[in-house]
Amino acid sequence: MLLVKTLRSSTFRLALLCIAIFGLILFAFLIYILDASTNFGIAQSDAVLNGDLQILRETYEELGQEGLTGKISRNANDPRAYQGLFLLADSNYRPVAGSLGQWPLSLPQEPQGSGEFNLVLDSAKTRGFRAQWTALAGGAHLLAAIEITDLRQFQRRLAYAFSFAALFIVVVSAASGVIVTRRTVGRIEGINAASRAIMESDLQRRIPVLGASDEWGQLAANLNSMLDRIEFLMGEVKQVGDSIAHDLRTPLTRMRARLERASLRPRYAVDDQALLASTIVDLDDVLRMFRALTRISQIEASTQLRTLDLSLVAREVAELFDAAAEERGSRLEIDGNEAIEILGDRDLLFDAISNLVDNAIKHGRVRGLVRISADADENGAVLAISDDGPGVPADECDLIFRRFYRSEKSRCTPGNGLGLSIVAAVARVHGATVKLSSNQPGLTVELQFPPPTPAQKSARI
Amino acid sequence: MQSLRRILLVEDDPELSAEIAEFLATESYQIDQALTGDEGLRLGRANPYAVMLIDRMLPGLDGLSVIQQLRNEGNEAPALIISALGEVDERVRGLRAGGDDYLTKPFALSELSARVEALARRSSTILKETILRAGDLELDLVSRAATRAGKAIKLLPREFKLLEYLVRNQGKVVPRSMLLQNVWDLHFDPTTNIIDVYVGRLRRKVDGEDAYPLIHTVRGIGFCLRAPG
Repeated sequence: MLLVKTLRSSTFRLALLCIAIFGLILFAFLIYILDASTNFGIAQSDAVLNGDLQILRETYEELGQEGLTGKISRNANDPRAYQGLFLLADSNYRPVAGSLGQWPLSLPQEPQGSGEFNLVLDSAKTRGFRAQWTALAGGAHLLAAIEITDLRQFQRRLAYAFSFAALFIVVVSAASGVIVTRRTVGRIEGINAASRAIMESDLQRRIPVLGASDEWGQLAANLNSMLDRIEFLMGEVKQVGDSIAHDLRTPLTRMRARLERASLRPRYAVDDQALLASTIVDLDDVLRMFRALTRISQIEASTQLRTLDLSLVAREVAELFDAAAEERGSRLEIDGNEAIEILGDRDLLFDAISNLVDNAIKHGRVRGLVRISADADENGAVLAISDDGPGVPADECDLIFRRFYRSEKSRCTPGNGLGLSIVAAVARVHGATVKLSSNQPGLTVELQFPPPTPAQKSARI
Repeated sequence: MQSLRRILLVEDDPELSAEIAEFLATESYQIDQALTGDEGLRLGRANPYAVMLIDRMLPGLDGLSVIQQLRNEGNEAPALIISALGEVDERVRGLRAGGDDYLTKPFALSELSARVEALARRSSTILKETILRAGDLELDLVSRAATRAGKAIKLLPREFKLLEYLVRNQGKVVPRSMLLQNVWDLHFDPTTNIIDVYVGRLRRKVDGEDAYPLIHTVRGIGFCLRAPG
């Protein structure tokens, strides 16, 4: 099964193509080396033969046929002289003198030329020779030959070695192609199997991470963190669903009970009026919560940002909340009058900052101090809202950004637990990070906006 | 000139349509109802309307196309788009298609009525006064000064703008969302009661302790500035 998949896989086909291309290149290269080394040997032999023929021709021209035959036989008997074969033939290529019995059959009978022939000598072993011949004055022919058996043998061995090497390389690369592909296909199969299992509703399952630092390990780790995120979001959705069910059920049940009771008792205009008014108020609460929920998903889908002044928005919020702070006897201070340009959406920022300031006033100390400050440096703009209230316990810092999260202590204050989720969603849209820190005492919430892009910078200049 | 009180309502849900029609009828409007876009277009071409209420999503011809066609034919009756789609982009698209206001479902009938009222007024009167009055409250729009029975009231610029809006709409219930939109230029519903607190402070400044109250809270809806008599 895996082998079939391996052979069918695109990786393996690609590997085969590569092997074929490299094999061809290697083959051509080896042929070239073989050919070049052989030619080098032949050229050397030819040079030697050429020299010999030159000397013998000069001997013939000076001393005549006897001188030449003498020199040839002296050469034949001299162990120090070159052990080549010589043949002096007449104009009809019949042997006259020399160590070769006859004009080699495989050589053409031409006045001059070069060629190769085989000879079976005493040991019944076929030996290869390279010959060169020339015509002498008076119609005779002189042929010199040199043994090239070793060269041929060297050439053969080289060819064997090269063929073997080429075969070896092709086989090894094909095998490693199969192995690598198989490994790849196996890893992919693992991921596929895990994905199928996850699709069949086992969301807890994770892709096995083998070899954590290679790219496969990274892929598996990335997919796993994606699954973690999905699981977290699904958990959040479930939690939100549960919270909605809880928070909506209460006013809805109350309304239902009220209406049911009213339907059973006699009609009095005054009671009915009060009933209708309180039912509408309850229903408005439900609708407001519903709107806040849909707003979060809208915020997360919205993308249109334009340049605006963050500190102006902060001042507008501060002005709006001044009355609310006054009501609790608190002071609301704002630092920073300089314009801070960021890419943003005024409605969303206003909403987010309102929520933070509202929280700071509500959860801060009565007759406390709430500070809003807007600053900017090369790392981007920072908006901080701090109070001097009881603060948030460290273990709740992550939780408070979950939809509907309300700390046990704050269950009794008005609100629906969606404010900070809206802040988090607005921050995400702006690429900003939200940081909570202790103001000792109190809580500081910081929105760190990303630094302006070079295009924005140049647009400002 | 007697102001036009005829309204076109294009809404495909018969029950909601009936509720709206009945509610607006109590405000002495005359309502023509259409359940489809094509019918709405036909009525819009045939009659002059003070305001057209058009649902965004309709069977057949959709709400935006109805408005666009009527606008192309030179019909300038103000249009209020009613939609279940609340995204900012949707609002922008609606206003670009020729709508004059945008209301997201679910909404309070009183808010719908306040917006219809505002649109109807827009088509009939243009305010050119430099001094606005409500009872013994006087707003000088040029010097941006407010006085109550001749006594100066110290107001922040935004408070003045808010009071001006309430005085311009005196006698009418103004929903919170309309205040946010027209005084702060914000297009969302705050999850907090901040507007109430803000208006509360304005009320303390304007109404004080001895004067009779001008600014009233209408529970669950918004505010109303009413001069006695």
